Amino acid sequence: MHPVLKHLINTDFIDLAGSRIEGQFAITDELVNLGLHELVAQLTGPANGSSEKLPPAAPPKSTPATATLPDPKLLLQKVKVDHLKYRTEAGRTVLELKAGL
Amino acid sequence: MPTFEHPALAAALGNPGGSFTGTDLRITLPLTRTLLNEVLAARPSGTPIQELYVDPEGGNRFRVHLSANAPVIGRVSRRITLAPGPAVRFPEQPWFHLSIVDGLKFLDKPLINLVQGQIERRLPRGVDVSSSYLRIHVPALLTHLGYQQFVPLIQHLELVSAPNRLVLQLHLQAVSAPAVVL
Repeated sequence: MHPVLKHLINTDFIDLAGSRIEGQFAITDELVNLGLHELVAQLTGPANGSSEKLPPAAPPKSTPATATLPDPKLLLQKVKVDHLKYRTEAGRTVLELKAGL
Repeated sequence: MPTFEHPALAAALGNPGGSFTGTDLRITLPLTRTLLNEVLAARPSGTPIQELYVDPEGGNRFRVHLSANAPVIGRVSRRITLAPGPAVRFPEQPWFHLSIVDGLKFLDKPLINLVQGQIERRLPRGVDVSSSYLRIHVPALLTHLGYQQFVPLIQHLELVSAPNRLVLQLHLQAVSAPAVVL
């Protein structure tokens, strides 16, 4: 784990107190559709059926990176959400938010 | 720019202005002295800079304490006071500017001027150092790093020093490109 991330966790994210984000995050329909196609491709792709063609997976030599990642709840518990609203408009999906630590 | 395995992610980050059109976010990120110095302590080893600490103060001033091994003169320790400049705004104000308001000794400025060419050759593109300021041309640096497509999103980027913390204020906006009339 990166020492800065470790410090943030050990100190209960107190060094980021006062952080705020406000506004709206928008993504276009094209991007949503691209993501959906990618999801469908993963679900219906050859990953399950062609495993015999692949070489056997080597055992992990070290602890997987994901095992060192902190539980997202550690940070999310510190987030105060004042406003969160999902909506759609022509050609895009919008998430309005106002939150802080 | 780094390559991404997922097409959707690659498309989004390859054209953030188009993929995130309508996004309008204001972010305030206060960074405490403790956290800043944790970040500095995690810097890559093997550089001439041996000690580096930052000490934010009120009045929009912060101090940087550094010790470095310099050619010929050996180990040098300085405490420099920096003052952040005006906010970066694309495209009219591309420079992130830090004025050096105090801390350089009488002999330092000629020395810095003397080695300025050597310093510039080692710095990433877009970073400019003189005896009186450190400034970063944000579009040039982002382009050098492969993130030039994010430059038009920057409506406001400002660093403000307050007691015990530096506050980063960022306003990102992705607007529709104006229609081309033929």
